[in-house]
Amino acid sequence: MGHLSNDEFFTKLVELFDSRKGKDHGHIYLTQKRLSYDQLPLPEPTSDTILPDLHPPRPLPVLIRATNGKGKENRAKKIKLSTVVDPNALPAFFERYADVCKAGMTTLKPRDRSKRKTKGKKKKTTIGAAGA
Amino acid sequence: MPHYAKSEEWLRESQLILEARPTTTRITTKYAIKTPKQRKPKTDDDTPATTAAPKPARGFLTLKTYDPVSGVTLKYRTSKAAEVSRLIGCLGKLSRPMAGLPEQKDEVMTDAPAEEGTPAAEKSEAAATATTAPAAQQAPAAGGGKGKKKKGKK
Repeated sequence: MGHLSNDEFFTKLVELFDSRKGKDHGHIYLTQKRLSYDQLPLPEPTSDTILPDLHPPRPLPVLIRATNGKGKENRAKKIKLSTVVDPNALPAFFERYADVCKAGMTTLKPRDRSKRKTKGKKKKTTIGAAGA
Repeated sequence: MPHYAKSEEWLRESQLILEARPTTTRITTKYAIKTPKQRKPKTDDDTPATTAAPKPARGFLTLKTYDPVSGVTLKYRTSKAAEVSRLIGCLGKLSRPMAGLPEQKDEVMTDAPAEEGTPAAEKSEAAATATTAPAAQQAPAAGGGKGKKKKGKK
């Protein structure tokens, strides 16, 4: 399966998260690694650089995968997404990635606000007292 | 296979393994939804009663750094929605050594989710960190925020 463009990947990822909404079970796996396949070969190791991958001559793209973890008997239901992010597009990609994940991961515990507010107020008064 | 209690520790160790093996190390984020076990309501349950009870399904987020060559596995697990954006920020940070880019020092941690529209809560958090700042000058802001979260829970 070929890689999707970053935009398509996000569209499909939203769909993937939506497909788990309202369900009481399931998994979504997101993976990232350096894309080393199908790239220009790294320079030969020399005595200076025994491991040439530590300092590649040019930045390498990052491969992002997403799956719903189905396999074996559920192979037909498996959703597999992958995209390649260029090094210079990484910050923008992860910003959007965070938004999509935040919106998609709805079953996580929400922040408990009631207690924090009172605590914050108390702290504020102490600040005022210390300042005066 | 160490599980880390703090995401900062996980991030630091993951950065180290990525520096050592940038080609083979991968990071998997697992988002799992599970039905919680039916439990008899015990007294003295010190979790705040507002959130825990009515939720039918409970989600978990597990971050795993794995290098198949050396066999190193580092894990961090959370169930807090508030941590998601910061953790994805961590993933973004870790993608830099993966891509072979130099580390970015001046990057600010995106801690509090801005979208949830709670200026009051954020303001209080800022005030809280401000109070702790003189006491522990060198403590990073994110660590301070985390400590606050724990305090609020108890």
